[in-house]
Amino acid sequence: MEWNGKTDIVELHSVFEAELQDVIPICHASIAGTRIIGRLTVGNKNGLLVPTTTTDQELQHLRNTLPENVKIQRIEERLSALGNVICCNDHVALVHPDLERETEEIIADVLGVEVFRQTVADNVLTGSYMALSNQGGIVHPKTSVRDQDELSSLLQVPLVAGSVNRGSPVVGAGLVVNDWMAVTGLDTTATELSVIESVFRLGEMGPGGAGGAGTNKESIVESFY
Amino acid sequence: MAVDNPVTDELLKRPLYVYDLPQELLATLSVKNEVQPVDIQNDAETAQSQPKELALEHTVASTTSCALCKVSYLNVQEQRDHARSDHHRYNLKAQLRGNPPLDEAQFNKAVGELDESISGSESSEGDEEDEPSDVTLTALLKRQAKISQEAEEGDTTMSKRKPGKHPLFWFSSSLFPTNTSLGIYKALFTGVEQEETKYLAGSLRKKQLSPIYPQRNNAQDTEKTSSSSSPHVFLCMIGGGHFAAMLVSLAPEIHRRQGGFEERQARVIAHKTFHRYTTRRKQGGSQSASDASRGAAHSAGSSLRRYNEAALEKEIRELLADWKKAIDDAQLLFIRATGSTNRRILFGQYDGQVLRQNDPRLRGFPFSTRRATQGELMRCFKELTRVKVSQIDEAALAAAKAKQQEPAKPSTPRPQQQKPKISKEEEAALLHTSQIQALIRRSKVPALMSYISNNSIPPSFTFLPSDTQQNFRCPTPLHLAANLNSPSVVTALLTKASADPTTINGEGKTPFELAGDRATRDAFRVARHELGETKWNWDASKVPPALSKADVESRAARERKSAEEEEANRRKIEMDRLRKEDAERAARQQESKRTGGKMLGSVEKTAADKREEEMRGMTREMRMRLERERRARAAEERIRRMQGR
Repeated sequence: MEWNGKTDIVELHSVFEAELQDVIPICHASIAGTRIIGRLTVGNKNGLLVPTTTTDQELQHLRNTLPENVKIQRIEERLSALGNVICCNDHVALVHPDLERETEEIIADVLGVEVFRQTVADNVLTGSYMALSNQGGIVHPKTSVRDQDELSSLLQVPLVAGSVNRGSPVVGAGLVVNDWMAVTGLDTTATELSVIESVFRLGEMGPGGAGGAGTNKESIVESFY
Repeated sequence: MAVDNPVTDELLKRPLYVYDLPQELLATLSVKNEVQPVDIQNDAETAQSQPKELALEHTVASTTSCALCKVSYLNVQEQRDHARSDHHRYNLKAQLRGNPPLDEAQFNKAVGELDESISGSESSEGDEEDEPSDVTLTALLKRQAKISQEAEEGDTTMSKRKPGKHPLFWFSSSLFPTNTSLGIYKALFTGVEQEETKYLAGSLRKKQLSPIYPQRNNAQDTEKTSSSSSPHVFLCMIGGGHFAAMLVSLAPEIHRRQGGFEERQARVIAHKTFHRYTTRRKQGGSQSASDASRGAAHSAGSSLRRYNEAALEKEIRELLADWKKAIDDAQLLFIRATGSTNRRILFGQYDGQVLRQNDPRLRGFPFSTRRATQGELMRCFKELTRVKVSQIDEAALAAAKAKQQEPAKPSTPRPQQQKPKISKEEEAALLHTSQIQALIRRSKVPALMSYISNNSIPPSFTFLPSDTQQNFRCPTPLHLAANLNSPSVVTALLTKASADPTTINGEGKTPFELAGDRATRDAFRVARHELGETKWNWDASKVPPALSKADVESRAARERKSAEEEEANRRKIEMDRLRKEDAERAARQQESKRTGGKMLGSVEKTAADKREEEMRGMTREMRMRLERERRARAAEERIRRMQGR
């Protein structure tokens, strides 16, 4: 989802709110005065990492909104778009090879994950080129089969090479996914959607699958609680 | 795999010769420090076969390998450990930079080379060691960047050798315990064999030669012919006007000694040494180098050296030409020739050149060598062909290393833990030792006494650690005081601290025997007097009969007196002699005055004339000063004369 304007984001908010209002509490936040949350932050059920550019007020706001047991940490790291350089689920994280050692330790501590420095199809931006949940993951379409196997073994989740938004290789940035649902851009083709659904096991919870189309919202809600 | 110690001992008792290793050893030999051979091909095939089902079922892949580092692992845990290792991270970055990835052995070697310059830790096991390993990695990457540049530049020259390679290949054998490894010089293997490290043991087996039993009878000529065809090596050294060359057969010769004892000997096919005076004595360097740098000198020595250089070159080249056939047949050429002059003699372009610089058989000596002599060549040959046996307990080494790294952690200040063997008492004793030794050295008697009494140090106190050279000779304070010739300290120790004069040091000597001067020895005797005969077994302490202080003093007074008398005597005699000599001289002078004639043309001057002459051309002040001096001299003379009467 390459957004290019304020209005889009507002629209997006409204879409998310419309879909999830009664399921997941949604709050508005900003990072360093921008609304680009997904690419600048990274998090899982254990914690949230925000870049050094985050202001104190924003940090306080996040602290107030998120549950107590979710840790929040601001990271002093040169590579500040944390969402692009870190890709994680609740157990493992693949990070940019040039990330500082300290950052690696913070990631391990705050997110409670095992951290591996890796590349995805020779790209250092693991967060951009890989989308990962506890059920599965999707990687850059040009990742070799051998690399896929190794990564899969390393992460202990099934992986598949795929694209979103009608062939965009930037799967991490073009897709937001958790263990129950995924949201992709409007351009995503049906084939892409089916690959995503199958690898993230999104269709298995209820009849007809639980894609971003929001057709089976009830089933999500049931399994969520 | 049960290790039979007698067998090992038997094998290792005698020096092992590379070209004649025992059969049972050869059979079990394998190259050490090799990564488990990883069949990448197979992995790739399985990987190729898997994806289809994977795509269908979305199962977790079980490819526990790393394509980047070309290693595979048994389980996921190992794979994950690898993914966190320095090796993997290095390769990741190397790949991004476009450098070729290293396999594990290469990486370890690279890190090992690095270890010489930086004190980073090699292992990345513990999280605590992250900082140094990070340093290692960045340093390695930096260095690698340089090396890769160099490699690109020098790619055209064939097989450029990497710097800092270990000169030995290490082998292990199941016959030996794991800590024993056998080292063989890489130089003995051909370039191809060196590349194929997996087959080193095989190529070593191929190298074996059966020993030669020399014929008793006169089969000289047949032996000659066989020798030229048998495998042999050529060794030569040149430097500083010395040249030595040798052709040695690789097949050992067995000589039977008395009692059926077989002795292996290297068989020298031919050898020759030259020596010419070419180096500039006390200046260094060759004459040609000197000529080139500051123009031709025209001294006799320089022309001599110039001639000798030319003659040496001629002789060497003639010799090489003589040996051409044998050299061409030689398996390896070991040559030491440093400096351009020396290399030119051997490799320079000339008609009928024998040695070529690009000869693949060419080797340097992978160790330091001395002056080029036949003996040195023989030593080098033995060194090259002897199998090195190293017994290193790797586990202990690793433990030691771990221990070394542990205290390096900044967060855990545990200085006590570093020397766990030292008990509290020992520590105290060490402290006392240093303190007491310092006090005795400076002859601080009161301080020493108070230190001993304050710390209630027993009279039987000995210095720690007892194995140093000094404490071996002087294990007790009394020994030390006697050795330093410090009578006051000796007296104090004996009389006040009741030190035992009968204790003996490591050399079996009592303190008295260490005393170097009379005062110290007297201190012992006085102490014997003061303490009484019954206090110690004085005879055992080798102290001579007692001597009271008064005795010593009276003796000293007596000696002083006699010395004074002697001195007075000497003076008197000398004075007499001088007086006599004076008288004689005066008499002689008078005689000469009487007899001696006058010089022609010289008029006797009066004293006033002489004075006038002296003062001529002087300023007024100078004249006055001269006058004053003259008067003073006259006055002195007058006084002397008056006293003389």
